[in-house]
Amino acid sequence: MPKLLLIEDDRETADEIVAEFTDLGFDVTWAATGIEGLDQARAGKPDAMIVDRLLPGMDGLTIVEALRKEQMRTPVLVLSALGAVDDRVRGLRAGGDDYLTKPFELVELIARVDALLRRPVDNRDTKLRVGPLELDLIERTAKRGDRSVELLPREFRLLEYMMQRKDQVLTRAMLLEEVWKYKFVPQTNLVDVHMGRLRRKIDEPNEPPMIHNVRGVGFVLRAPA
Amino acid sequence: MRLPEVTRSVTFRWGLAVAGIYVLFVLALFAAIYWQTNRYLTVRSDEVVTKQAEVLARADAHELIDTVNLLPRQNPRRVEHAGLFAADGRRMAGDIAGIPPGLALDGIAQAAMILAGLDTPVAQAVRAAGRRLPGGEVLVIGRNVDEIVEISAIVGETLAAGLLPALFLSVAVGMLLSLRAQRRVAEVNRSVQRIVAGDLRQRLPARGSEDPFDRLAAIVNGMLERIEALIQEIAGVGDDIAHDLRTPLTRMRVALERGRANARSLDEARTVIDRAIAGLDQSLAIVTALLRIAEIEHTRRLAGFSDVALADIVREVCDLYEPIAEEKGVRLSVDLAARPIVQGDRDLLLEAVANLADNAIKFTPAGGNVELGLLSRDGESVVRVGDTGPGISEAERDLVVRRFYRSDRSRQSRGVGLGLSLVMAIVKLHGFGLTLTSGPGLVAEIVCPPAAGATRRNES
Repeated sequence: MPKLLLIEDDRETADEIVAEFTDLGFDVTWAATGIEGLDQARAGKPDAMIVDRLLPGMDGLTIVEALRKEQMRTPVLVLSALGAVDDRVRGLRAGGDDYLTKPFELVELIARVDALLRRPVDNRDTKLRVGPLELDLIERTAKRGDRSVELLPREFRLLEYMMQRKDQVLTRAMLLEEVWKYKFVPQTNLVDVHMGRLRRKIDEPNEPPMIHNVRGVGFVLRAPA
Repeated sequence: MRLPEVTRSVTFRWGLAVAGIYVLFVLALFAAIYWQTNRYLTVRSDEVVTKQAEVLARADAHELIDTVNLLPRQNPRRVEHAGLFAADGRRMAGDIAGIPPGLALDGIAQAAMILAGLDTPVAQAVRAAGRRLPGGEVLVIGRNVDEIVEISAIVGETLAAGLLPALFLSVAVGMLLSLRAQRRVAEVNRSVQRIVAGDLRQRLPARGSEDPFDRLAAIVNGMLERIEALIQEIAGVGDDIAHDLRTPLTRMRVALERGRANARSLDEARTVIDRAIAGLDQSLAIVTALLRIAEIEHTRRLAGFSDVALADIVREVCDLYEPIAEEKGVRLSVDLAARPIVQGDRDLLLEAVANLADNAIKFTPAGGNVELGLLSRDGESVVRVGDTGPGISEAERDLVVRRFYRSDRSRQSRGVGLGLSLVMAIVKLHGFGLTLTSGPGLVAEIVCPPAAGATRRNES
């Protein structure tokens, strides 16, 4: 059972987050102040932390910095109502691993915490494999079983990112940020269109599907059962 | 009481100080004139008496007596006096009663008091020269210096005649200026009070003259104009937000209410809830877009600007939107006629161009074209996004860049109508321009003046 520490002063927000993650099988500890949170982080050794920036009398980033100085490597997701690009950069520089701006959707938060808990292994292998799918990072070629798949560079990038995070739900915002380096969400369903094209190439009609749409959340790549 | 207030004002005090300095200056000037005149007259008198004493000393004895007797009568203003005395001090000729005590008999002129006069001798201050003649007689020539006293009196009178009005004038002008300044301040205060009370159209009074007050009023009025525009914009945005949020919220409320009353199965309830969530998402998207615009508008992060190759941005946007255009049956083409590099924020510029492309594709019907172009015109770099959609009427062009305004064509489409306002905010931040013109459809151009970004960077 992964241990999650939530440092958030707003009780309602905290209740929602705690309830949701408890349902998902997390062992959630809630701290309402920075001091309490810091103590919990040191004593409880959580697997991941969610830290709000605007805490009473304290910037959440101070906690992250303090923990990083103590060589604590726990992945941290920083929550904030401050959305400026600058704030985001500062949040990541202070040692946060991801940054989410309020208001956010719970599914987005869950997907990101999940991603933090399974950071992609630093794979030196030049070939990525998920089930019958194989991606050659040197040759820039893709194969599903014996069938070779022709991919455009942008489709290759997308597939590479998904294969590094197989079985993980990826939200549209995450894909935009990581694959396209987009820091904003465009109005059109860009990601869906790109994903649709990739899916048509990966999953042919007679094959069991590998790219799945997770309703209201995003996408996931899984090896066929 | 008006007067004491006036006298307390800074202008008035300055006026007084200036008047005081003026008085001191005039006094010094007149003193100098008096001193110079006095010296000049004394020197001249001295010359005269010395010369006469010298000439007379050489004359014959009886001729001398006549001359000495004649001298006081000869000068019409009766300022010259003469006296010839025997060795024992007895007067032999002339109108001087006796040898003035203390007079050196060496022929050099000096100040002395004598008793002289043809009819009734009077004591008077003179410049006198005395000589002892070879026969032992004493010759005294004196010249009255009352002239000098008269002149000093005249100088004093002139001084009074000139200085008093000048003083009065300075004080009066000081009071006038001070009164005027106070009146202007009072006027400004009244205007400001009205502005504070909420009348934002109020402006500071200007008199059309070029005085500092007017220039200051013009500057403040410029600022007020901007503030008024901003406040109206905010008020407008508030209305727009209320309107745009109310629509999805009302729809959600109705859907939820009806779902609660009518849903008979969990699936039916879920359908209703899904619709409500979609409505909430739309509301959140509006809030997010607004925050994003506010964020860009308040960014002063110009120091973070760097070289951005516009061609890369256009290519990236094309890469991103090609599938979307294809899906819609719109042909997306790229024409890179120039490859300029500008100073800017890559992410923001990408966002701006992406928004223009997004809009163009959205409003172009199937079978149409969207062209992304990069060109150079009159030394300016231009990013052009042209489409074959319905375009925007001239009357609406200014409005579409305002927050939340959606032309009728977009009301039928999705999106929150903030795209162009967002582009505008980004373009403004960079010091670029955004122009909307009619091509076959709409042609949107981001115009980057040469090194606009660079100048902005230097300013920060």
